[in-house]
Amino acid sequence: MADKRKYVIPGDVVTTGPFRPEQNVILDGDKIISTTIGISEIYDDSVKVIPLTGMYIPKIDDLVIAKVNSHTSLSWELDINSCYVGFLPAQDVFGRDFSAHADELSSKLKTGDLVAARIANFDRTRDPLVTISDRDLGQIDSGELVEISPSKVPRLIGKRGTMIQMIEMATDAAITIGQNGWVVVSCESPEGLLKAKKAIQMVNEQAHIANLTDQVKEMLELKGES
Amino acid sequence: MASVSVLNELKKTQILELLEQGKRVDGRALDEARELSIEVNAIPKANGSARIRLGDTEVICGVKIQPDRPFPDTGDKGLFICTAELLPLSHPTVETGPPQPPVIELARVTDRGIRESHMIDVSQLVIEKDKSVIGVFADNVVVDYDGNLFDACSYAATMALLTSKTPKWNWTDEKPVIAEGEDTQLPIMTIPVSVTMAKIGSHIVVDPNGDEWACMDARVTITSDSDGNICALQKGGSDGFTLDEIVKCGETSVKIGAQIREKLKAAQQGAQ
Amino acid sequence: MGGRDATMVLLDENGIRCDGRKIDEPRRIMIRAGGLKNADGSAYIEFGDNKILVGVFGPRDVHPKHMSNTDTGILRVRYHMEPFSVGERKNPAPSRREIEISKVIKEALEPAVMLEKFPRTAVDVFIEILQADGGTRCAALTAASVALADAGIPMRDMVAAIAAGKVADTVILDVNNEEDQAGQADMPIGYMPSAEKITLLQLDGVLTPEEYKKCVQVGVDGCKLVYELQKKALNDKYFGKKGD
Repeated sequence: MADKRKYVIPGDVVTTGPFRPEQNVILDGDKIISTTIGISEIYDDSVKVIPLTGMYIPKIDDLVIAKVNSHTSLSWELDINSCYVGFLPAQDVFGRDFSAHADELSSKLKTGDLVAARIANFDRTRDPLVTISDRDLGQIDSGELVEISPSKVPRLIGKRGTMIQMIEMATDAAITIGQNGWVVVSCESPEGLLKAKKAIQMVNEQAHIANLTDQVKEMLELKGES
Repeated sequence: MASVSVLNELKKTQILELLEQGKRVDGRALDEARELSIEVNAIPKANGSARIRLGDTEVICGVKIQPDRPFPDTGDKGLFICTAELLPLSHPTVETGPPQPPVIELARVTDRGIRESHMIDVSQLVIEKDKSVIGVFADNVVVDYDGNLFDACSYAATMALLTSKTPKWNWTDEKPVIAEGEDTQLPIMTIPVSVTMAKIGSHIVVDPNGDEWACMDARVTITSDSDGNICALQKGGSDGFTLDEIVKCGETSVKIGAQIREKLKAAQQGAQ
Repeated sequence: MGGRDATMVLLDENGIRCDGRKIDEPRRIMIRAGGLKNADGSAYIEFGDNKILVGVFGPRDVHPKHMSNTDTGILRVRYHMEPFSVGERKNPAPSRREIEISKVIKEALEPAVMLEKFPRTAVDVFIEILQADGGTRCAALTAASVALADAGIPMRDMVAAIAAGKVADTVILDVNNEEDQAGQADMPIGYMPSAEKITLLQLDGVLTPEEYKKCVQVGVDGCKLVYELQKKALNDKYFGKKGD
């Protein structure tokens, strides 16, 4: 259980003492200093800061929405909204007996296509390995892409999924949230789509306010266009 | 962030599908421009300035007015120079370094739109014939990019020039010397307004936003003056327009241009 | 430093400066975090009559590849003045002064930015001077620091900056344009408040050893004031109006 949550900016001293520095903090002498804008959390033996901004850094098993940038005869290069580029090998899609001669990559995925993918492997020395070979992954052929700050993704999901479920139920939209801040929204009705997009942008822009859930709920309950 | 300029295929399909139904992704009509917000005198120390927001595209134009030497063959005319620069902070794909052809085109088209309309009567900007004239420099900088820089720069420069204040200079002892007295407006003869239209498939849309700009096949920028005459035109993009389309674009540009002109005039009034 | 205007009174008998300020009083400062749609981080500052916009991108790929560093990210800074930002219209091409200031600001930020976390990438800082009135490099550095934080680039500390100086044999805080042109010394200072390190320091003018010490002290204290405004700008954007 974390105690004493505090708003911090780079250079702020979170605490002093024998703590292990975790994400977004550094140890300077006996001071634990934040390296980003965020909310600090102090545990029994460690300290970290949850960032409120910043680009997406891949983590293994993250679900991401990715866009195909290009491909060679052996793999696709995916934009995952990070300075790291996703690497999707042909075998992932074609299977073990993939043949560079016979199988043409663009027949499955071409430049500009969107996919739901998972980060299979990542250590910072090389670009992350990505897979789309699970049931809930693969090419996205309908819906709209909405971009939010990756640091707002937890807020959009909500505690135990409450925020995203509220939005989906109120608008009848199906929403797939990538940990990288890219979100796909599909909805039969154009009004529902517009409302869902609006709700997502509200969370993105006002993640810091205390009663955000109530505000979003209020907006969703308004009849008609706003 | 890698290759932000690759428009995702879904978006392109969406844009086309909606156009088939006469609609656009942001809910606008095909001949509707985005919301235009105008801030006059954004740079108080310049002689004139305006900050324009057209949707999420933002341009600042600053006007500097100062004595200069005339061009050798036009000693009886002042100088008017209009530039445009795409600042690297406006979009991740903008590089620093010498301007690329699209930005050079943007600057020259913006310049011609104002120059060809004779917005400023440069014959009234002479201090001493063949020796010293008034130079009017309108410099546009693009601060945020979301498509249609041509119109944003046109409106920014026009607004900045409309609300510019210039001192008078007298020729004294072989040099221009600032005269006593209040600054005055530039000699404005007309208000040019450009309207840019994009062709996507077989549809023509006014004021394309960033996504529409990325998937358009061709575009045309048409500038009209206060009398409803067309005074400058530039077609761009790798596809073509039919004769009927181009004629229709001319009509649309005059119609929409008139609406925009009212907004510019209202902003000018507001600043006085 | 331009010509000396013998007729301008830079400090009157009541200790009031040419723009009405007291000797330790900075000009009006306003900082806003964010504001640009496409940049990864941005900030806007008004420092007296200076108006400066900063946009940050990164970490991102470096092109051409040979400019990247396998062990650490690189920081690139471009300080650029718009043609309409100064008294006489300035040619848009980069001047030697702009290139030097770009380097000085880069080296003021490098100790704060944790580039080693992103090898083979670059962080780009684009500074645009919309209107200049003395002390642009300090205002620019201050805003750049806020823009970097806004972009979420990991930093050990913020960097705040202001210029100290001397007019009429008196040490002053926050040198404006007239004081820079006609005064006796101008010392821009950039400071990391938590680490207590000076990362930008330049001097134009003549100071005795005592004046030099006083100038640095006055400047560092001034930087701490500026830092409070950087905090406020980030608080306003990210924490609503709540602080700790």
